[in-house]
Amino acid sequence: MPRGYGAASHMEDDAPAGGPLSLLGATVRRSIVMGRTYLILATALAVLIGSTLSLAGGGTAAAVLPLFLPVFTVQGSLGAMMVFSNDRTKGVLEYLMAYGVPPRRIFGNAIVASLALVSIVLAASVGAVLGELAFRGRGPSLTLIRLLLGYAIPMSYATVAFAATAGMVWASLSSPRTGINSPVGLLPILGIAPPLATLVAFAAVPADAGYVLAGALGLIGAGVLAMIAGVDRLMARERLLSPA
Amino acid sequence: MTASAPDPSVAPARPDDAAGLRCRGLTTGYRGTPVLRDVSFAIDEPAVYVVLGPNGAGKTTLFRALAGILRPYAGEVLVGGTSIEHQGARDRLHYLSHMDGIPDGLRVREALEFYARVERADAADIERVLDLLEIRGLAGQFISQLSAGQRKRVSIARVFLRERAIYLLDEPTANLDPKVAREIRTLILELSREKIVLYSSHNLYEAREIGRYVLAVKEGRLTVFDRIENLRGARYVVGVRALEPSAALAGFRREGAYYLRELGGPEEVPALLRELEAAGVRVRELREMNNPLEDLFA
Repeated sequence: MPRGYGAASHMEDDAPAGGPLSLLGATVRRSIVMGRTYLILATALAVLIGSTLSLAGGGTAAAVLPLFLPVFTVQGSLGAMMVFSNDRTKGVLEYLMAYGVPPRRIFGNAIVASLALVSIVLAASVGAVLGELAFRGRGPSLTLIRLLLGYAIPMSYATVAFAATAGMVWASLSSPRTGINSPVGLLPILGIAPPLATLVAFAAVPADAGYVLAGALGLIGAGVLAMIAGVDRLMARERLLSPA
Repeated sequence: MTASAPDPSVAPARPDDAAGLRCRGLTTGYRGTPVLRDVSFAIDEPAVYVVLGPNGAGKTTLFRALAGILRPYAGEVLVGGTSIEHQGARDRLHYLSHMDGIPDGLRVREALEFYARVERADAADIERVLDLLEIRGLAGQFISQLSAGQRKRVSIARVFLRERAIYLLDEPTANLDPKVAREIRTLILELSREKIVLYSSHNLYEAREIGRYVLAVKEGRLTVFDRIENLRGARYVVGVRALEPSAALAGFRREGAYYLRELGGPEEVPALLRELEAAGVRVRELREMNNPLEDLFA
C-alpha cells in the first residue's frame, strides 16, 4: 500500500522514501520503460564495442571507445524525449499545466531524465571495459582514463543536455509535432553534432586538446543555459498543448 | 434567449465575486490570433452547464482559458474571486481535457499515483476511485494495454481523486460505450448537486439529459447562456407511430417508422392526439423529434 501523499506539494519533487514516485521519478522511470529498446541497443552496442576492443588490443585499443561513447549515450537517451513528445500529444503536459506545474519544470524533468539515461549507458559500457581489463589482470591505460574523464563522460552529459533542450525548443516552435520534427526525430542529429564537431576541432585547431575540449563544453553549456533561461518565452504554455 | 453578455437572471450571481466562476470580456487564442472574443458569464449555482458549439467554435479554447492554460489577450477569468493565474484559483478546479492526459509507460495504479501526486490526493483516494470507476481490475495493467474506453475511465478517475468546487470536463464521455457513458453521466449528475460542472459534448441528447444550463459558443463568441428548458426550438416536430397504417396519416411527412407533424409547441400535442383519435388512428407512440439544442448549431 503506498503511503499517503497529502503533505507533498506539487511544487516539491522529493518523494518520501517508499512513497509514490515524484514527478521527476515518474519521468525517469517512464523514460526507461518507453525508451527501453534504444537504451538496451545503445548500451549493448557500447558494451560490445568496448569489450571487443579491450579483448583484441587491451587498454590501448579500448581507449578508442571513449571517442564513440557520446554517440551511444545520445541514442540511449531517446526515451526521455519520447516521454516529452508523447505527453505533449496525449495531453499530459496540458494536464500538468492546468494544475500549476510550470513549463520550466516539465522541461527540467525531461533534461534530468535524459541525463539519467546517459548515466546508465556510461555505467554499463565503461564498467564492462574496466571489468574486462580487470578480469584479464590488466589495468586501464592512462590514455583511456584521460579520454573517459576528459572527453567521453563530460561530452556525453553535455551533448545530451544540449540535444534534449534544443529538441524540446525546436518541437515547441514548430507546428508539426510528430515524426522527424518531434524531439525524438531530431535528437540523434542534434546530439551527434557537438561531439563530431569537437573531434574535428581536435584535429583542425592548433591548440592543446584540453583547451579545445573546454571551449567546446563551454559553448554547449552556454547554449543549454541560454535556452533554459529563455524557456518561459520559448515554451509558452500554448506551445505544449495537444492538437485542439 | 440569445445573448452575447451575461444575463444575471439566468445564473443568479452572488453579491460578490468570492464564489463561482467569472469570465469577463475574455479574449484569447493561439499565437496572437484570437479564437474566443469578448466572452463574459458568471456562474455560481451548482449544476451541469453544457457547452455546445460546432467544431472549431472555440469550446476547447474556452476550457483551456478557464483552466488557466491559455492566457487572456483581454479580460479575465476569476475563480472564487481570484484570477486563474494564481495557484489558489487553480486549486479550486478540475480540468479534464478532450485528450486522455494519461502518462504512458506506467501501470494504471501508478498513473493514479502520478495524478495523486500532482493533485495532493492520498492513497485512500486512489483506492476509492478504483472502485468508483470500476477499474480495480485494470490496476496492474500498463496504460498501453488499455482500450480507448478503459483509458477514458482512468482519465476520468482522476477528477474524482479530490473534491474541488468547479469541474471543467471537455467531452468526458467520448469513446465510451453507452453503458459506461451513462454511468459516467450519473456520477457527474451526482457531482453537480454541490459542484459547478462545465461539460462539453457533441451529443445533443446527452447534453439535454444531463444539462441544466447551456452555453453555446459560435465563431468564438458566447451566443446563448440560458436554462435548457427555456430554449425553444425554431420548430417543434413530433413523430407519431401507429399500430397499423392509416389513410389519415397520408398528409404527414415520413421519417423511418414515424409520421412527422410540425406543431406550434407542446401545448398543441393534446389537440393532435384528439385529431388522430377522431380519424381512427391507433397511436402506439408519440415523441418529440427535434432537440432544441440542434438549433444552436444552425
